[in-house]
Amino acid sequence: MDQQDEKGSASGSDAKADLTRRDFLEGTGAALVVAGTTPAFASAEGRTAAPAGPAQQAPAVPTTAITLTVNGTTHRIDAQDRWTLNELLRDHLGLIGSKIGCNRGECGACTVLLDGEPVYSCSTLAVWADGRSVQTVEGLESGGDVTPLQQAFIDYNAPQCGFCTPGQLMSATALLERNPSPTAREVREALAGNLCRCSNYNAIVEAVLAAAGTPAAGGAR
Amino acid sequence: MTLRQETQVRPMDTIGHDTRRIDAYERVTGRAEYTRDVTVPGMLYARVLRSPHPHARIRSIDTSRAEALPGVRAVITHETHQVVYGSGSIAGGRQYSDAAKDMTVHKRYMFDNPVKHVGQPIAAVAAVDRHIAEDALELIDVDWEVLPFVLDVEEALEPDAPRIWPEGNLGLDARNEPQPMGGVSGDPEAGFAAADRVFTDRYTTAFVQDAQLEPRSALAYWEEDKLVLHTPTQGISNCRHDNAKDLGLEDHQVQVICKYMGGGFGDKNGSYYFDLIAATLARETNAPVLVELTRKDDWLGTHGRWHTVQDLEVGVTSDGTVTAIRQRAYSGMGPYLRRSGGLSGIDAYACENVERTIYPVHTNRMVSGNFRGPSEPQGYFPIQSMMDGIAYELGMDPVEFALKNMLRPTDDIRFTNYTLDECIERGVELFDWSSRWRRAPGSDPGPVKRGAGMSFMMFRAGVGPSSAILRLDSEGRYTLFVGVTDIGPGAKTTMAMIAAEELGVPLDQVDVVWGDTDRCPYSVGESGSRTTMMTGFAVMEAARDLEAQLAARGMPSGDEVLIASATPTPSTNGLRRNCFGAHFVEVEADVRLGSVRVTKYVAVHESGRILNPLPARDQIRGAAIQGIGQALHEELLYDPRNGHPLTSGYYGARHVTHMDVPEIEVTFIETDDGYGPYGAKTVGEAGIILGPSAVANAIYNAIGVRMKELPITRQRILEALA
Repeated sequence: MDQQDEKGSASGSDAKADLTRRDFLEGTGAALVVAGTTPAFASAEGRTAAPAGPAQQAPAVPTTAITLTVNGTTHRIDAQDRWTLNELLRDHLGLIGSKIGCNRGECGACTVLLDGEPVYSCSTLAVWADGRSVQTVEGLESGGDVTPLQQAFIDYNAPQCGFCTPGQLMSATALLERNPSPTAREVREALAGNLCRCSNYNAIVEAVLAAAGTPAAGGAR
Repeated sequence: MTLRQETQVRPMDTIGHDTRRIDAYERVTGRAEYTRDVTVPGMLYARVLRSPHPHARIRSIDTSRAEALPGVRAVITHETHQVVYGSGSIAGGRQYSDAAKDMTVHKRYMFDNPVKHVGQPIAAVAAVDRHIAEDALELIDVDWEVLPFVLDVEEALEPDAPRIWPEGNLGLDARNEPQPMGGVSGDPEAGFAAADRVFTDRYTTAFVQDAQLEPRSALAYWEEDKLVLHTPTQGISNCRHDNAKDLGLEDHQVQVICKYMGGGFGDKNGSYYFDLIAATLARETNAPVLVELTRKDDWLGTHGRWHTVQDLEVGVTSDGTVTAIRQRAYSGMGPYLRRSGGLSGIDAYACENVERTIYPVHTNRMVSGNFRGPSEPQGYFPIQSMMDGIAYELGMDPVEFALKNMLRPTDDIRFTNYTLDECIERGVELFDWSSRWRRAPGSDPGPVKRGAGMSFMMFRAGVGPSSAILRLDSEGRYTLFVGVTDIGPGAKTTMAMIAAEELGVPLDQVDVVWGDTDRCPYSVGESGSRTTMMTGFAVMEAARDLEAQLAARGMPSGDEVLIASATPTPSTNGLRRNCFGAHFVEVEADVRLGSVRVTKYVAVHESGRILNPLPARDQIRGAAIQGIGQALHEELLYDPRNGHPLTSGYYGARHVTHMDVPEIEVTFIETDDGYGPYGAKTVGEAGIILGPSAVANAIYNAIGVRMKELPITRQRILEALA
């Protein structure tokens, strides 16, 4: 359960103090009375993300200008205060790799790295990522090559339905970064916050161990 | 070593080798597109309002404040849209029968009034973003008349119980009559009279959510009079047909697309009410609409394994021969009969004198449905526990008792092949049963005690019709069109492997088109563990057709293509076709804490020829772990005072994590009985059937007290030991 505690404390870190709960609640409350347009936002490269719907009236809600780096690219965004990091990534940056399995910090399908540490992006407000660096599953490949961990996931059949796979990959990436030669026990502890309902847990651990250079039996080679 | 193959068949060119999934790259890079990942310009987001009451009538429902919220585009309720949800309630639970859906008296609607369980949909809102849709739900005012409710299956059948249906709370059979299932074979009275000892006991099993990690959703839009529907389904063809039927359309007016889906586990080979909600809202707003279920919506608003109460009576002679079995069982189906409520397990015994009575009962709990091996784990747990206990009573080894009493081929019951004895005998060896099993249960000094248990099964592996299309172009590329969605077992890869094998070409020369009813022919859908056997056989036949065309006409040139198709209707000519398996489990129980840890798990299966050993092994491993979860963890508890569910969600249901998982050792005994593609049989569901019974029997061997309720929680163990 260490992993979940870590994630829990990340959600409660100092970054949260920048946004008061009142701000957040007022943000949602304002939707009831104010009409306006969906705030536009643009990345540093000048790309404009699509608004949430057709050109139509939508209530204005409080936004905060934030700057964050996602998979190496810096974005300046007027983020709605109520957006989770997951919403920002999926709905507004088009990074669909991180999934929503529960949207309440139970399953880990939404796990991304925030300054290298795994966090549940469903339970992290987008504004908390201001000034920070985010890595998603889309950011693992470099030069069109998958990482050894991704290749091990392929070889060892770690994805069944694949829905938990991005989260498992991000937690395992963070693990191997801080501990390149984990034991099976350490892998399980590091991934304890990532559920797999297909229950392909054995294969996932085997894949991580193989990527770390201590392969178990099995796998397609 | 986690996979052992003991094969009487030899690997072929492609078949029989560990093969990476052809879509593995998409699955590890975030490129795989699941339903919620699809975006369409101008799409709206929809949320569903649900009942907070287990049983209540809506006197009035006022949506005016929600409609006035800027950004809201449509609000629909039972008053504005009465759409029959045909596959949601079916007399007899026969999901593929249009006739049964049409004649069903207990109809279910997209929105019902009165509502019959907490979480039942009562209205839906489409808005320009999901936050506005969520806000709008809170602005819908409902005037409720709260009705009395019932949660317990036996109380529900009492004459004075609150009535969920005018006819009472017993489910309807295939003739639309409230009747239990079951029947009598042989002469049970004579069987019990011939017994030296008769044992009776009561077992209960819990409701278990399918709980696939992808919460359900549906994206719908209309192209004039044609509906395009993205939805996470295990069967695009059946999903299309169900939706077309309910919306008054022809099948060709509905296109169902499902490219990737985040887990099946049952009851998604058809339509869901949220498909109908998405289609209705899309028509109302003239815009694409994405209905998203929250995790809680999904948990309470879909389905799970029916919970049961089962009374068993077994007669045996003193030499350990079972002479009669009587079962009286109640399956809790929630307020609608979506599926049968059946229970299997007794049929794995040779005993000829059997009386079975199973009541599918309506309550105000959430709706039950199919979950991987729909009737199996909760059917096997009681009978296999009972038989295990009888073996001890007679001073017999449970393995010896199993081999003496299990069903074997007879003059009347002829199998395409039979290997159950071989599965058990191999398991005994691989598990080292004689040293792990305690002849005296609970005999370890403790407080941490070990024990061993086993269970065995046979499960359907029938052949049947499905379709495939195969195309060859002048560049030598083969394109295979199959209506699979690939819910996790790797169906796309298996289908391509079968085509490559039959055509004698490398796997990478075959492209697969899948998951779209406009592009793919009918497939049975990935339920019942049928896709490899049925659609795989169609692929094989299509490949043979293409080979014949090639022989007659030669390679296509230029813009020519050769196209072959097949819709075979294979048969086993009256022979029974089953897969077989035996699981052996060792547990460690701490009698101070009531905690249980699985320390060894050996699963031996005969599922015919294994086409791709890598994912086949993981189907068994994953299913076994789901079975452990059902044995020790998962349950949906209700507050008896107010009818509210208490443990929805992964934490509440205490789902298995990486930390709870033992290594599952899988052995396949491979055979080729001459049916299906290369002799392939059922894999996906087979692995979940034995977990609860084998774990429970191991716990008995460890602590010496029989645990008769699933899940076997710490509290239950401590209470049993007190």
